[in-house]
Amino acid sequence: MKPTAPQLRIRRRQFGCLCAAVALLASSPASAHPHVWATVRSEIVFGPDHKITAIRQAWTFDEFYTAMAIQGLDTNGDGVYSKEELAPLAKVNVESLHEFAYFTFVHFNDDNKPLPLDAPKDYWVTYENPVSTLHFTLPLKTPLDPREKPVAVDVYDPTFFVAFGFAKKDPVKVSGAIPADCKVELEKPDAGAEADAKALSEAFFSQLGPNSNFGSQFAQTVNIVCNKK
Amino acid sequence: MRTSVRTALLTCLALLIGVACAAAQPAPPSAFGGASSAAPNAPGPSAAPPSPSFAFGPPQAVALHAPGLVGAFFSWVVDTQQTMQRELAGGVKRLKTGDPFIAAVSLAGLSFLYGVVHALGPGHGKTVISSYVVANEETVRRSVIISFIAAAIQAMTAVAVIGIFAIALNASGLTIKAWSLQLESASYALIALVGLWLLFGQLRALWRRFRPAPAFAPAGAGGPQVDFDDHDHGHDHGHAHAFARGDHDHDHGHDHGHDHHGHHHGQGEACHHIVDAKDVSGPMSWRKITAVVFSVGIRPCSGAILVLIFALTQGLFWAGVAATFAMAFGTALTVAGLATLALGSRELALRLGGNSGAWAEGVWTVCAIGGASLIVLFGATLFVASLGPARPF
Repeated sequence: MKPTAPQLRIRRRQFGCLCAAVALLASSPASAHPHVWATVRSEIVFGPDHKITAIRQAWTFDEFYTAMAIQGLDTNGDGVYSKEELAPLAKVNVESLHEFAYFTFVHFNDDNKPLPLDAPKDYWVTYENPVSTLHFTLPLKTPLDPREKPVAVDVYDPTFFVAFGFAKKDPVKVSGAIPADCKVELEKPDAGAEADAKALSEAFFSQLGPNSNFGSQFAQTVNIVCNKK
Repeated sequence: MRTSVRTALLTCLALLIGVACAAAQPAPPSAFGGASSAAPNAPGPSAAPPSPSFAFGPPQAVALHAPGLVGAFFSWVVDTQQTMQRELAGGVKRLKTGDPFIAAVSLAGLSFLYGVVHALGPGHGKTVISSYVVANEETVRRSVIISFIAAAIQAMTAVAVIGIFAIALNASGLTIKAWSLQLESASYALIALVGLWLLFGQLRALWRRFRPAPAFAPAGAGGPQVDFDDHDHGHDHGHAHAFARGDHDHDHGHDHGHDHHGHHHGQGEACHHIVDAKDVSGPMSWRKITAVVFSVGIRPCSGAILVLIFALTQGLFWAGVAATFAMAFGTALTVAGLATLALGSRELALRLGGNSGAWAEGVWTVCAIGGASLIVLFGATLFVASLGPARPF
């Protein structure tokens, strides 16, 4: 039976919707797809003048990535992966992290633009069977006073190749002279629905390009907050 | 070809059942004792205190959580992947410590499931293969076979990369990563080129159709639905075998003279194609298929690379290879499913026109040009992106 013209028009419209659905389905979960998992432990370093001078990072990687990373690096063949043997790995890691802003985004007073960081001077990789940990210290270009304005540190990979999550135990520590009325704390993930619409549109469209910012929605934040007198 | 695929599938099934039966034999009571026996020797001096559920002491991360409903879904996907990856690592280790049969079966099953989920991520050819089958006169059965060949080549690439660099050359992980990235770039470039080639072919076919000369009479003679076995009557006898030599056992004798009118309808296929409209797309061509599966397949699956190296460090490379192929089986299923979905959409689109030949022609033209263009765009975008700064990890 030949469908009538209006029937066809409706079906064609339905087909348009189907096409869009298929296109989204085919591409949507693409970026929810990390290959490396890293457990983050951060240290907020305070200078003698109670200002934040650096962020010290320790990222512990999953077993699979670790196996890949240390492959072939036991150069003296003694079965131990020493700090010296792993030094080339640390160097490549930290140098290529530069292009990715060290996956560490320091914000002063909810400023959207993250503050510039200096290249790490000390960095090394340790291997404790079965996982490896990359350690490095990121100096801030300008020390920040958390008593002036709140400071927030996000750790995430915008492209979500690496899934960063803070450690369950001791995710963030303080080193140096923190002001007495200040504290560092890991922000609890906000389950609120206010971000739904934003997440919906960003999740679907941000990942279609190579410069995706998909990972930002998984960002975990350390807040350095002070009680104003 | 059809029978050999069926035979291969049956063999896989028989193997699985056989192994499962063997595993059902009474096993020593210590089957999974290995997991806890590893406990005493693990924690290093500066490691965090051991968490109760793990024998070793590295810190455990809190679960990732993105806001919103969609975010919750993605968080779930991420969490599932991490769980599966941990299970995979555990599965490889149990081969040494647990009952080998049970461990082998569970590793195969886990790898398969991991493959099914993993293929939803980028780099397993779902876009390229779906676009290809939609743009060309392909059936559901053929797209399943294309997906499986592509996944098999991808698995072999991963095994070859690890075999050559990690085992033969004892190269570092950094070297292996660099080579994988090179192959990835090459794959994207090839995908773009293959797309251009397909697009050119489609445009040429389209140009021919709109010429007044009756040049296309023979193409429609074989019936709209070309059977899988009787490929390329009068076309493409050249068969470029240069690429995937030995990767698939295809029929070199051309089955001329039979099956010309065999309509093999997979699910979602309409019964009455409009014969004229078929001329828009090219005929079934192993040359095209080889190009497509090769361009997709030379990019090693990063999941497979990780499993292979991990298995290698455990001294169980063979288990890694087996897991890689089980994983490829899973990714092939997902890719084939998506390609089938895409084909179903095309068939639905064709049916929407009722018996209108003009509508069907339009659908074919859009599918053919759109599909090929999508492949070009996809390959070119990812190729350019792959030239960017190297990832640190």
